[in-house]
Amino acid sequence: MKKLTMAAIVSLGLMTGSALAASAWTGGDDLPTNPLACDGTPSPAAAKPYDGGSPTNPPDRKGKKITVVDVPKLIGIGYFNATSKGIQDAAAELGNVDAKTDGPTKANIDEQITFLDNYITSGVDGILFAANDPVAIAPVLKKALEKGINVVGYDANSIPEARQWFVNQAEFNGIAKALVDSMAAEVGDEGGVAIVTSTFTTPNQARWIAEMAAYAEKCHPKMKWLETVEAQEDNNLSFNQATTLINKYGDDLKGIFGMTSVATPASAEAVTQAGKCGKIAVVGLATPNAMKPYVEKDCVKSVVLWNPVDLGYAAMQVLRAVADGTLQPGATSVKAGKLGDLQVINGSEILLGSPYVFTKENIAGFDF
Amino acid sequence: MTALSAHPGRSALHRFIGGYGQEIVVLLSIVALFVVVGIINPRFLSDTNINSIFAGNAYIAIAAIGMSMVIIAGHIDVSVGALIGVIATIAGTLAVNGYPVWVAWVVPILFAMAVNAGVGALVAYTRIPSIVVTLGMLSILKGGLISITAGEWISDLPTEFMIAQMRPFGIPSAVYFMVLLTAVAALFMRYTDFGRSIYAVGGNMEAARAAGINPERTVVGVFILHGLFAGIAGILFATQLQVIQSTVPPNLELTVITASVIGGVSILGGTGTVIGSTLAAILFACIGSALIFLNVSAYWLRAVLGLLILATVLADMARRRRVT
Repeated sequence: MKKLTMAAIVSLGLMTGSALAASAWTGGDDLPTNPLACDGTPSPAAAKPYDGGSPTNPPDRKGKKITVVDVPKLIGIGYFNATSKGIQDAAAELGNVDAKTDGPTKANIDEQITFLDNYITSGVDGILFAANDPVAIAPVLKKALEKGINVVGYDANSIPEARQWFVNQAEFNGIAKALVDSMAAEVGDEGGVAIVTSTFTTPNQARWIAEMAAYAEKCHPKMKWLETVEAQEDNNLSFNQATTLINKYGDDLKGIFGMTSVATPASAEAVTQAGKCGKIAVVGLATPNAMKPYVEKDCVKSVVLWNPVDLGYAAMQVLRAVADGTLQPGATSVKAGKLGDLQVINGSEILLGSPYVFTKENIAGFDF
Repeated sequence: MTALSAHPGRSALHRFIGGYGQEIVVLLSIVALFVVVGIINPRFLSDTNINSIFAGNAYIAIAAIGMSMVIIAGHIDVSVGALIGVIATIAGTLAVNGYPVWVAWVVPILFAMAVNAGVGALVAYTRIPSIVVTLGMLSILKGGLISITAGEWISDLPTEFMIAQMRPFGIPSAVYFMVLLTAVAALFMRYTDFGRSIYAVGGNMEAARAAGINPERTVVGVFILHGLFAGIAGILFATQLQVIQSTVPPNLELTVITASVIGGVSILGGTGTVIGSTLAAILFACIGSALIFLNVSAYWLRAVLGLLILATVLADMARRRRVT
């Protein structure tokens, strides 16, 4: 009997739990949002003084040949192979840069510091880095600045005063706009959409969702948000959650946002196995390799991320501009070759631009 | 059983309920959930949703069969989640490197049985508590997996490898595996000498020895069987999706142990059935799906499972006190 009572309590608990259902886009945080303009006009940069560091008595490098070393988090993976390619592209285009990529084969901060230390000792003019740890990397970068070396980060920042500039691949509101616009392009402005995220409290995902809700309200007010489900970073759980969403909403569900590189392919798989390709759109953040099967089968049309080749290219262009003295503290933009003028944000960061949308036409060119 | 002899007037039905008490509770909870959630949202009862509930968690039910045997024998295995992750990676690696699919299915299962034979031998012959041995194995498997794969996922799996995606007669193959393996294991536990010796060893090792059972051999055998079920679970896990994540599914071992315990397997060993653990795994899947249908955060699943564990163990304790 006790056990029967227990079962009853559990069922009751489930029923009362349903009263907790929220109405806003759950999974977002409560921080202020800053949705971009619907047509993509860049928002005016908030004035913030330069907070980066500066090299001590750097030699005049204007127009002269410089040697640059790029030390990413690790080497030998597709993502940093792509940034390295961008750096080489820019160096070839500039013609006065001798750039090489070297670094640890595991994402290990101690090994990364050793690599940087060795290159500082051997003497280089510029360092590009993607930090394994923003604080632990600071002393060795400061040492480089003290030796007059130009230091620019990309992909993963250090604390600002340990480097001169940082190329920021994407801002939260930019990612949010790209996701919501891609979804609206596929399902129309009035479709019902659901979100598969990691957890409601994961900082990046919560920020993106909050910005997505703000942008959708501003630019696609009739897009109907149905539900956000949590799936941690677990492939099978993401699949099960997405499948349950499809079962629950039936034809009312027109699209699923995947908020992690795990949730997006798992949602695409759920749509595929439910036989709903073409009826339910999947738009999300993911790496191209995980999404290729779905994009090639036309089950997924847009995968949002940034282009790591462009990221490396921009970092190299910024470093050249710093060495030439054309990018000074207080600047509001920088010329970055074929990418055009890039905007300065947050004092000493340079925004790569709009996120990159991988589609059937371009996805085969990426391997990460 | 002693409790029953104190009430000789009880009917056959009462005896049946006495023997399968926990299983019946879990089954009734499943039925209650289907009825309640089905009334609130009839789509919960659609055949596609019922298929996903059963298929999505079948691998947990299958792993829980082996886990139940281990716990009935008086031991525990906290490394099963990591083992399933390793099996999935081995199977996927073999499949994408062009080995015949049967090799990709069978070799990882044999690997799992070999690993668990080692664990079982350590537990049985050195008398190191199983939680310590398997905790060590958990670290070895988890660390080894991350180091060897470097976090890379396996994709581009061949279609014929995806056994969990096959649907004979419209029903996911994982469901057939779950039902068939549960039935075979239940009969095995009840009607074979080896099956009954597992209960005997878990109930009282010295008494079992006096009755002519070799407890060490039984424990090694149980762990090997557990490896077999974990291996099959790992293959179904690996073939459910198009990619195999090279990380160990978080908390999988806890979910599997929870299924055994809520299914009525006493954590002290000696009692329980594999039917109970399979029903409990289905109950979890139902609760997980119901939470979404009722708009409740998935975090409640863990809380609900925790409550279920406490309630089940308390009920088990109370039952034991009544018996003695």
